[in-house]
Amino acid sequence: MAAVTMTAVSLALFAFAVVTLWWTMHAWRTPETLAATRFAAPDGAHTLSFSLLVPARHEEEVLAHTVRRLLESSHPHYEVILVTGHDDEGTTAVARQLADQTPDRVRVVVDTNEVKSKPKALNSALPHCRGDVVGVFDAEDQVHPALLTHVDHAFRRSGATVVQGGVQLINFHSSWYSLHNCLEYFFWFRSRLHLHARRGFIPLGGNTVFVRTDVLRRAGGWDGACLAEDCDLGVRLSSSGERVVVAYDSAIVTREETPDSVSGLLKQRTRWNQGFLQVLRKGDWRGLPTFWSRMLARYTLTGPFVQAFSAIAVPIGLYVALFAQVPVAVAMLTFLPALPTVATLAFQVAGLRDFGLQFGLRVRPVHYAQLVLGTFPYMLILSVAAVRAIWREWTGRTNWELTRHVGAHLTDTPATDGGAS
Amino acid sequence: MTTSSRRRSRSRSVPKPADPPRDITIDFRTAAPPEPTTSTDEPIPDATAADETAPAAEPDAAAAEAPVEQADAVEADAETEAEAETEAGNEVDAETDEQVEVAVEAVEVEVEQAVRPEPVLGRLLRRLRSPGSLLVTGVTAIVLFVHAWNITGFPAASDDEGTYLAQAWAVQQGLGLGHYTYWYDHPPLAWIQLAALSWLPAALSDGLAVPTGRYAMLAVTAAILLLTYLLGRRLGLPRWAAAVAVLCYGLSPLAVTTQRQIYLDSFAVAWLLGALVLALSPRRHLWHHVAAGAAAAVAALCKETMIVALPAVVLALWQGTARNGVRAFSFAGFGSGLLLVGGFYPLFAMLNGELLPGPGHVSLLGAWQFQLHHRTGSGSVFSAGSAANTVVGSWLYYDAVLLAGGVLAAAVGLAVRRLRVPAVAVALLAVVALRPGGYLPTMYVIQALPFLALCLAGVLALAVRHALTGPPGEPAPGWRRTVLLGLAVLAVAVVGIRWAGGTQRALTAQDNTPYEAAAAWLRDELPDRAGTRVVVDDVLWLDLVRDGFPRDNVLWFYKVDLDAKVAAGLPRGWRDVDYVVSTPAMRGDRAPLPTVDALLEHTRVVATFGAGPDRIEIRRVPDSAGDRR
Repeated sequence: MAAVTMTAVSLALFAFAVVTLWWTMHAWRTPETLAATRFAAPDGAHTLSFSLLVPARHEEEVLAHTVRRLLESSHPHYEVILVTGHDDEGTTAVARQLADQTPDRVRVVVDTNEVKSKPKALNSALPHCRGDVVGVFDAEDQVHPALLTHVDHAFRRSGATVVQGGVQLINFHSSWYSLHNCLEYFFWFRSRLHLHARRGFIPLGGNTVFVRTDVLRRAGGWDGACLAEDCDLGVRLSSSGERVVVAYDSAIVTREETPDSVSGLLKQRTRWNQGFLQVLRKGDWRGLPTFWSRMLARYTLTGPFVQAFSAIAVPIGLYVALFAQVPVAVAMLTFLPALPTVATLAFQVAGLRDFGLQFGLRVRPVHYAQLVLGTFPYMLILSVAAVRAIWREWTGRTNWELTRHVGAHLTDTPATDGGAS
Repeated sequence: MTTSSRRRSRSRSVPKPADPPRDITIDFRTAAPPEPTTSTDEPIPDATAADETAPAAEPDAAAAEAPVEQADAVEADAETEAEAETEAGNEVDAETDEQVEVAVEAVEVEVEQAVRPEPVLGRLLRRLRSPGSLLVTGVTAIVLFVHAWNITGFPAASDDEGTYLAQAWAVQQGLGLGHYTYWYDHPPLAWIQLAALSWLPAALSDGLAVPTGRYAMLAVTAAILLLTYLLGRRLGLPRWAAAVAVLCYGLSPLAVTTQRQIYLDSFAVAWLLGALVLALSPRRHLWHHVAAGAAAAVAALCKETMIVALPAVVLALWQGTARNGVRAFSFAGFGSGLLLVGGFYPLFAMLNGELLPGPGHVSLLGAWQFQLHHRTGSGSVFSAGSAANTVVGSWLYYDAVLLAGGVLAAAVGLAVRRLRVPAVAVALLAVVALRPGGYLPTMYVIQALPFLALCLAGVLALAVRHALTGPPGEPAPGWRRTVLLGLAVLAVAVVGIRWAGGTQRALTAQDNTPYEAAAAWLRDELPDRAGTRVVVDDVLWLDLVRDGFPRDNVLWFYKVDLDAKVAAGLPRGWRDVDYVVSTPAMRGDRAPLPTVDALLEHTRVVATFGAGPDRIEIRRVPDSAGDRR
């Protein structure tokens, strides 16, 4: 009986891990696939206008820098709407100062909701948007000046109503978990999201996401109660058949920083996981047109939890295989799920090298060591976050645990100012 | 950077917008006349052409790949720059990135959809009807016919064939990896596959186990033939040359003789060819590269000596991946496939508690130590009378054309980019075969045969192409074509006559009659089969077991001395045996086997089949345990 259970669990986890690996490596399947993940080169026309929403909360330190970068944009038609909370005077003051400096570009909207959250802030600003397209950025984002021009072209060229640009955590040298976090983003935005866009189900990212204003209004804006409003919006737009394109270009990717501590990472990941659970429970994905896109949705939304289970179950399985009396064939099967994990690590090593090349960052042997040695601890952190998310959702704690930003990506990185531009 | 890598980067396929991006995937397999796309002016372009002249020196290649080439130029240059800078330790600067971006513009989303424009089934059917498919089917059928004809009659069943077949039988019966303790002498994947193929001989014949078991090898041979053709095409050989490779390999008397026999090497080389074909996949798909690693691992787990040729697969992967950001991932995938599949073998040993040597049990490392250090060497190939010398002599006796011609062609092929993969395989296998003092078994040559044939055909193709290419802008003079035709007819005639002579015995000889007669005698003349203990070689073992002798009463002769468990079943040594079947394999075994020697000495012949050194004697032990029972 134990042998049968072990075999079944091993095979299931193996299948899950192989599929995940397959999708994670989507962009690198062939040279042609990789080429197709990029932005098309713009044609020079600027026909769309943009409303760029920048919700900021206790982020007075980084907001000014972010806005100044946005104002360097090469696109002629855009406005920046800073959204602050009525209880956050410091950030509001900085925001108003910025608006005074460039009144024709920057406006401030104050969110008066009692309980704050990013989706609520965005919803407060939505009625004020005058552009054809709404774009969202976080207060600590570093946005490339050419981005809007590329996005403008992408909208016109593809006829899509949603364009998701690349977001990349850059400060991989800050700590061992930053490195893993950066690589996660790298694989997600450079590779996996493209697969989602092709398959018609996409959990959108939290920023560098652009939606046609009318479509966004028709969809009712963001879900103020959801902890993963970005994912939720993606699911709802996918379900109503909106066409989404994803483009990743290391030169114009939006640069961000990782959470500044393990507990920050844990909180952030808990929030996302809980958000995924909420989206799963809301069930909007059931409206997806095809069986396979519904399966993909189910798979993606439950993914973090299966992965968490896997991170715990696989080592236990291996321990049993090695030290308990089980038939050799069964013991060998329990090693199956470990194979894709090891292969993933090998791909991550290649990915780290590529990441360094793409962003002009020096990757040293110590970073490869951190990658290899940190894999399992990082998986454990993700597992804890997954368990924590289930616990919080179960006990009804749905408040927003904000991640603090210190601007590590602004100061430490040699290539900050779009080094590749 | 070498010329070759630069050229590869130029032929990278990013199509311009108007092109149907299918061109990317066709490469060698469909489309365009299958000319060899290496240099026209230089038979050995890589060795001689300088960087700058290389692209200009291949007008035909440029024509064949024109759409790709042009659109690619900008990017290729950008790439080259980027690479150069990266190699110099600098950062990739933005300008390069922008250039690349401009070049890639056109590809965008459409490419992915266009790569598979028609349903898989339709594509498959279209491919099956293509001239290439018909050609390869034809030559494969011819070769298989020759291999199958009289497969049971020639050559004489060898001890090793019996060993592997019996182990396959044990796998099938659920007895483990062998009916004696598996001692990690060879990795087991080949006979596991043999077990899976056992329906084939069962369906075709019911004769003696080993000769009829050979029918299973026809499936393996078919796979090798098809993969040889496919590899040839992926190496850039024209269809005719790939077909010549298949015929050279398949019709060589050396292949007809060794390939029929049940040897692990055939399985291994099939998988290695598969790995090479996958590594050179024109789609350059990441998962093909992972699969290439896995196939290479399976090859090594079929026959461990195949590891020798693994660098050829790595080279193929290097050639098969473009330097555009996916190569590192391809190598990561290949390495994962190779190590993770290969790792199951030591894992199996570890889970059995048999990884490290220890008292009272067999072990993987112990077996390796034996194979590497304690196995009697075959001497040097170059000293007359040594075992290695005899083995190589026997290969040359069967076919010097493929062996010597192939080795010469491989020497040339090392200098030609497209032929380097099989040439490296030949070179590595040759170096290992020629090392003094190593162990060189007869079937070793099987691993090299397809590569020898590919080198030979590849060099032929280069020579023909060279001969048929006139001065720039002019057709080749007509007399050259005539001379070439004459030479071809002459070569076919000479080689054909040689090979017909060498193959004649394979098609007519009945070398297994003594074994058949011995098996029939044992079945018919011994009334008490259940109570009779017989020592045999590995060839007859399976037949005796099938004829009703209890499995524990039929003993492989060397196990009597070498397997402690078997020896323990014979407390009185040779006196506990009733019959011994003395065969060439038994008499020729060079290991010290005192009990077997005593058996042969103290027994008297009751029946003899055949004559001379190949005779088979059934000898009876006087006053044996069976008499008293």
